[in-house]
Amino acid sequence: MFCFNKTEFYISRFTSPKPSKFQFPLRSQTRPRGMKFKAYLTENGVNLLEKRFLPALDKMGKICHLYLTRDHTMFLHNLLNGDEVQSIAQFRKEALFDDYRISSQNENRIAFAVDISLLHRAIRSSVSICTEFGSGPTQNRLQIKLVKKLPPNCTQPMPFLTFETKGYKSAVIQDVPISKPLSRDQVLELQTALDMAQDLPQTLVQVQDLNQLQNFVDRLKHVGDLLDVSISKYGDLYVQISTTLITLGAEFRKLLVIGEQSDEPAEDRNLSAQTRSVRAISRGDAQSVQVNVKHFAKSLHCHLAKPDCAFYGIAPQGACLTVIFQFFIAGSRQTDKSISLHCRLPVLDPGSS
Amino acid sequence: MSSSATEAEAPDLVCQMDNVQGIVDALTTVRWKRHQDAVLELSEHGVVLIVEETGCLQAKVYLQRELFIRYEYGAQGRPRFGVSLGLLVDCLNTFSVPGRSSMIEMRYPGPDMQLLLKSVDSLDACIYAEIRTRIPDTISWDYNFEPAGSTPLSFTVKSAALKEAIDDLEWPGSSIQIMLQPVPPSVTFRGEGHGDLQIDFMYYANTDLLIAFSCDRQVSYRYKYKFLRATTSNIPSSVIKDNRGSKLTIGRGGMLKVQHLVSVSRQSIPHPHIDSAGYQQPSRIAYIEFFVKPEEDEDTVND
Repeated sequence: MFCFNKTEFYISRFTSPKPSKFQFPLRSQTRPRGMKFKAYLTENGVNLLEKRFLPALDKMGKICHLYLTRDHTMFLHNLLNGDEVQSIAQFRKEALFDDYRISSQNENRIAFAVDISLLHRAIRSSVSICTEFGSGPTQNRLQIKLVKKLPPNCTQPMPFLTFETKGYKSAVIQDVPISKPLSRDQVLELQTALDMAQDLPQTLVQVQDLNQLQNFVDRLKHVGDLLDVSISKYGDLYVQISTTLITLGAEFRKLLVIGEQSDEPAEDRNLSAQTRSVRAISRGDAQSVQVNVKHFAKSLHCHLAKPDCAFYGIAPQGACLTVIFQFFIAGSRQTDKSISLHCRLPVLDPGSS
Repeated sequence: MSSSATEAEAPDLVCQMDNVQGIVDALTTVRWKRHQDAVLELSEHGVVLIVEETGCLQAKVYLQRELFIRYEYGAQGRPRFGVSLGLLVDCLNTFSVPGRSSMIEMRYPGPDMQLLLKSVDSLDACIYAEIRTRIPDTISWDYNFEPAGSTPLSFTVKSAALKEAIDDLEWPGSSIQIMLQPVPPSVTFRGEGHGDLQIDFMYYANTDLLIAFSCDRQVSYRYKYKFLRATTSNIPSSVIKDNRGSKLTIGRGGMLKVQHLVSVSRQSIPHPHIDSAGYQQPSRIAYIEFFVKPEEDEDTVND
């Protein structure tokens, strides 16, 4: 049911073409050495990014890594920083782009840091320009390209992601500044972190009503900072804040379970929420971790990407709390394997796992 | 309080409510500071919450048993315990889901004398809370409100207008004088500090604002602005929307009593008849009372 098949993310090796003698043509616009990226955003791609994913990812953090490979486009938050919420949004290139061309000396992988809000703004305003000038055979196409330009008042050319809408009569160009593309070593570090982040928890429970959960957690923030999260093989999810003055929590039962599951012993069914949770943990049927309530609330902002549901699980050895958002193909209940989004929350205390 | 070893003691109180937002509104009315300790008093008539600023200001919220769907009282006497008001309100707020009615059960005491709350409207999802309580260490100052004379000195004014007047009186930065006089029947609020501000409510001129008035002689007392302000600063918007009035009474020695009515509407029972505008069944109202001590007789302006 999931598309976290590791083989999807292996990149086959290419041999890079030999550099030509005239490596640096004298043009005012050049691309970073050896790197090329150009693609056209499809209408589907624009909708996915502008209306759904970029608003959600903006909440995860201002800056993210944009990681482009031969087959995939990824938006990665905090993968190299262990203290923050990590978020990984992956798209197969066909989900976003037409005519996707990428090449680099690092196995055709390119990664750089970018401000999500600037990306969002560029796409938003390109869209409004596009719709202004109509559609049809000469319809505007939104091209994204990696370039190096000399900005005004600068002596050094800087890298940009350029958005170009070429219409019948006019063209609009927007440059989104990006960081220097990551070196080979840095990309390796990123890819390694990405591989580690694909570890699936053994038990996942499905939460259908993210709004309800978000409402609750937003109010919990007033009460305390540390959130205990417990997940059982019976399909129970507990979120609870405990301070010296108050214990306040919510229990969601009979959730759909993916992975390891078992039935709740009958004698437990009528006990209080907290007692049930403690007993399940002592039997090894549940795991519990503690996370920062603000991180939990932040990850819930991913509902802006309009997932169909979310799955919560605790990674092996309580390494982190994982939430995986699932997207169905429009009009069906089949998983759309071309899109994925998941978050990993750092754990503050191993709890009992 | 006899119990056999095998039998658990019945709790002092088990009650259920389906109007959490209304209860939150009522309790918020008496939140004038970030950290306030409240005392809850349980009786067969309902629950009373008391907060005070020692010696100067006291507020009470009466949640009578008719506000609850279920109210099972099993205590001997009237248990009293202390909780943090802010924590109680923030906690109740988590149960209140916009657009949905939520049924909550409240129980006291828990195994460790906690106040226990849990939502009971769904089998598969539930919110629960345990709030630690304290033994209240100070006896609530008995404000012992007594009428000023044979004729009460009181007036009822639109809550919205009262709040606005008190908000405006912040400007002079002085204590506030409240004066009632029988001829012409009127109430005057006055502040003299950085500039003067006087606000008059004339009884006959505008019965929309001043709804009732009773006074047989001129009286005037001064009250510290911040305490007067506390009586209106957190009036819930439902009170303003419902166009309610607040009653102010001056008792013996100048003690001021301010009373508000907060709607705590119950959503679960559909009524066969449409209530006429403004009429609320008594079971839907929480009563709030503030007591403000007057300043000593001197004319000097403080603060």
